[in-house]
Amino acid sequence: MPKFFFKQDAFPGNPVSISTTMIQFDKIKLDNGLTVIVHTDKSTPFVAVNVCYKVGSKHEDPNRTGFAHLFEHLTFGGSANVKDFDLAVQRAGGANNAFTSNDLTNYYITLPANNIETALWLESDRMLGPKFSKKGLDVQKKVVIEEFRQRNLNKPYGDVWHLLRDLAYKVHPYRWPTIGLIPEHIESAGLGDVKDFFFHHYAPNNAVLVISGNIASAEAFQLAQKWFGDIPSREITPYLAQTEPLQQTDQEITVYRDVPIDTFYVAWHMGARNDKNFYVLDLLSDILSNGSSSRFEVRLVKEQKLFTEADAYLSGENEPGLFIATGKASTGVDIHLAREKMLEEIMMTVETPITAYELEKVKNRVESDLLLNEIGYLEKAIQLASFEIMGDASEINRQGEKYREITAEDLLETANLLFRKGNRNILNYLSLQNSKK
Amino acid sequence: MSPFRKIAPEVHSVDKIDFIEPEHQLLPGGTTFFTLNGGTQEVVKLDFSFKAGNWYEDSKLDSLMAASMIAEGTSSKTAREIADRIDFYGAQFNSIPYYDNNYVSLLALKKHLPHLIPLLAEIIQDASFPEHEFEIARQKRKQRAQVDAEKVGMVAQRAFLRSLLGPGHPYAPVASPEAYDSVTVEGAMSNYKKHYYSANATLFASGDVDEEVKKMIADHFGPAWGTPSKFKTDQVPGQSSGERSSFIERENANQNAVTIGKRVPTQHHPDSPGLKLLTTIFGGYFGSRLMSNLREEKGLTYGIHASVVSFVRDAIFMIHAEITAEKTEEAIKEIFHEMQRLQDELVPESELEPLRSFLSGRMLEDFDGPFARAQSFSSLYEAGLKVDYFDKIIHAIKTTTPEQIRELARKYFDPETMYTVAAGKK
Repeated sequence: MPKFFFKQDAFPGNPVSISTTMIQFDKIKLDNGLTVIVHTDKSTPFVAVNVCYKVGSKHEDPNRTGFAHLFEHLTFGGSANVKDFDLAVQRAGGANNAFTSNDLTNYYITLPANNIETALWLESDRMLGPKFSKKGLDVQKKVVIEEFRQRNLNKPYGDVWHLLRDLAYKVHPYRWPTIGLIPEHIESAGLGDVKDFFFHHYAPNNAVLVISGNIASAEAFQLAQKWFGDIPSREITPYLAQTEPLQQTDQEITVYRDVPIDTFYVAWHMGARNDKNFYVLDLLSDILSNGSSSRFEVRLVKEQKLFTEADAYLSGENEPGLFIATGKASTGVDIHLAREKMLEEIMMTVETPITAYELEKVKNRVESDLLLNEIGYLEKAIQLASFEIMGDASEINRQGEKYREITAEDLLETANLLFRKGNRNILNYLSLQNSKK
Repeated sequence: MSPFRKIAPEVHSVDKIDFIEPEHQLLPGGTTFFTLNGGTQEVVKLDFSFKAGNWYEDSKLDSLMAASMIAEGTSSKTAREIADRIDFYGAQFNSIPYYDNNYVSLLALKKHLPHLIPLLAEIIQDASFPEHEFEIARQKRKQRAQVDAEKVGMVAQRAFLRSLLGPGHPYAPVASPEAYDSVTVEGAMSNYKKHYYSANATLFASGDVDEEVKKMIADHFGPAWGTPSKFKTDQVPGQSSGERSSFIERENANQNAVTIGKRVPTQHHPDSPGLKLLTTIFGGYFGSRLMSNLREEKGLTYGIHASVVSFVRDAIFMIHAEITAEKTEEAIKEIFHEMQRLQDELVPESELEPLRSFLSGRMLEDFDGPFARAQSFSSLYEAGLKVDYFDKIIHAIKTTTPEQIRELARKYFDPETMYTVAAGKK
């Protein structure tokens, strides 16, 4: 096996130090348990009102999956004092949307700063209690099933995450995707389930409100108190985190689908989002596949021409997630050969320390990405909420430092832990047409 | 004390949007160079546009392959060396082919520009199109096209454009991934040689653009580069295939895609701002007629959208949705029903008033920050429009009457003039 080689002296100029700008914010907790964070950005005429609830698909009953996401759809159907949520946002010149993940449900409204009270009125009314109707539920069930079809059933490679999660997890609720295991779970949701779900998960003491943009902290806190202060706290169904047992044996499955190109996904169990190793593995995935000069791109795509696309990334959930490697084989290349070559490339990270030059390169990349991703006031609000849900919003400002401290030894050590024998899950996702040739 | 929740808080309308034009200069080589200084981070974005898109192609896919190849080698650097340097400085580089113009952009921290601007100049001015890199890029593009060909949504939209414009029109997409078998490095190189030169380029620099950055840009992009060439600018007559309705079968589909639409006047036509408003009412936002009817009322689709896609020399009104296979007929019927309703009935003020506010907000968003402003002005100039176009849009948003909207619907929403393409299971 060839040893790894990278030119270290190719570039003029001194290495640059990693500097990241700090995101300034203020934080308080209201008496009802609602955490309120304010980030002021006077460069925009807008504000974002972002409410993040600590409820995602991992909180679902295994026989009622897809519920958190269906619920997100339902909360747009109006509430005690709001007849039409979207219409009210439009009237204030704003836009709104929401997303659900395995860990959380996040709602946001952006609108001109002088209309902020409209957003606070809407989000606080949503928190007080949406209006649930049989008709609304029936329609949104259909809409979500169409979404399921459009994204997962009727799209090439759309069921990969269903297969991969099911293979990798035995007990943890990450074993199903946010959209749900099967459309029938969504179909069977009843109005009783909906109400029950709301009162056990949607509450000020289970949420984080972030206000960002053109508003001063004092004013924002005062308005947050005005609109959210009287919402009663509620008893939240405790989430009993299930620990996935340590995987002992490598696993492999093969499926045939109506797709044009053979592919595979390899998944290894890794640590949680707030684990130090998360940052190490993020760098490792960058070394392997981020950018045209990454190892996969240079060696597997360009030099050996085994793949047209090769990628490594983290699934990125808050609790222990997966490290994924995947690729689409070039026409005429045997997928198993391609896969073995990619695994060889990966195993080099276990054997050979990364060079100082390559480490600096990926750290530069991270520095840029952190800064470039933090330009928009809405992005900053979503990020702050997400870090607060994990435990502490100020972690957002420690990311740069955490990446900066990583050494070649850390990478080697973490790669050894990750790529150990018994920790691997392979999904071969092959083309039905190719298999008949 | 509890707030008064029964009535919505008072709202303020968007009263002022700053349409002040970016400063610009003509560099000695003929490049128009716009600068938009602003923002809170030490970040700079450079956006080049070249009149080099599909419109200017000698044969299909040349423009796309030229864009794919631009950073794959110069006379003194390999693709690997270029990639390594861009990545080392953490920059985001993009080369994007499009219908009229092709774009090359770089987003980077300002402190790295002394290393990146010379590199960008070398990439743009001295691309060498190595044969082996071309083959890799061709395979990659072909595989992507093969995957796209399995998506009913892509199949329907591409077939729609071919039906509407005629397969030979420069904006019409190729029929199948096999088209990538006949692309050549010579074709791509020729597209690059003919169209990537200084007088054919426009540059927007936005973000933290100070005098030092401007000077660096003028030093590297100021003098003439490339060879000016003559290329077609005359209008190709639309050669529609004549088939107003077609169905492309995909037997395994469990959802069908539907695309409906027609050609409409370009942004230069006085009807254009009003037509955009009409299209938004019809299907351009979450509360649109199509979304309310097909999604929120009947649950037939996850999303349905109507828009006017503006090209420099054409504009297309287009509706697109993915729908349960067995409900396709019903959905198409409802789409035409909503078109008819706009011709028969006046849009109530209760629907128009929030929409006017919503669109004013989106307009304000289009000018929020240097990057958004750069995008808005670059689209404006590219279409050959003057800054008063923004005022016309605002005027249309704020003052178009229900009668005028009905008039526009009668003029443009005649079902007889629409093309309909569906893809999926019959």
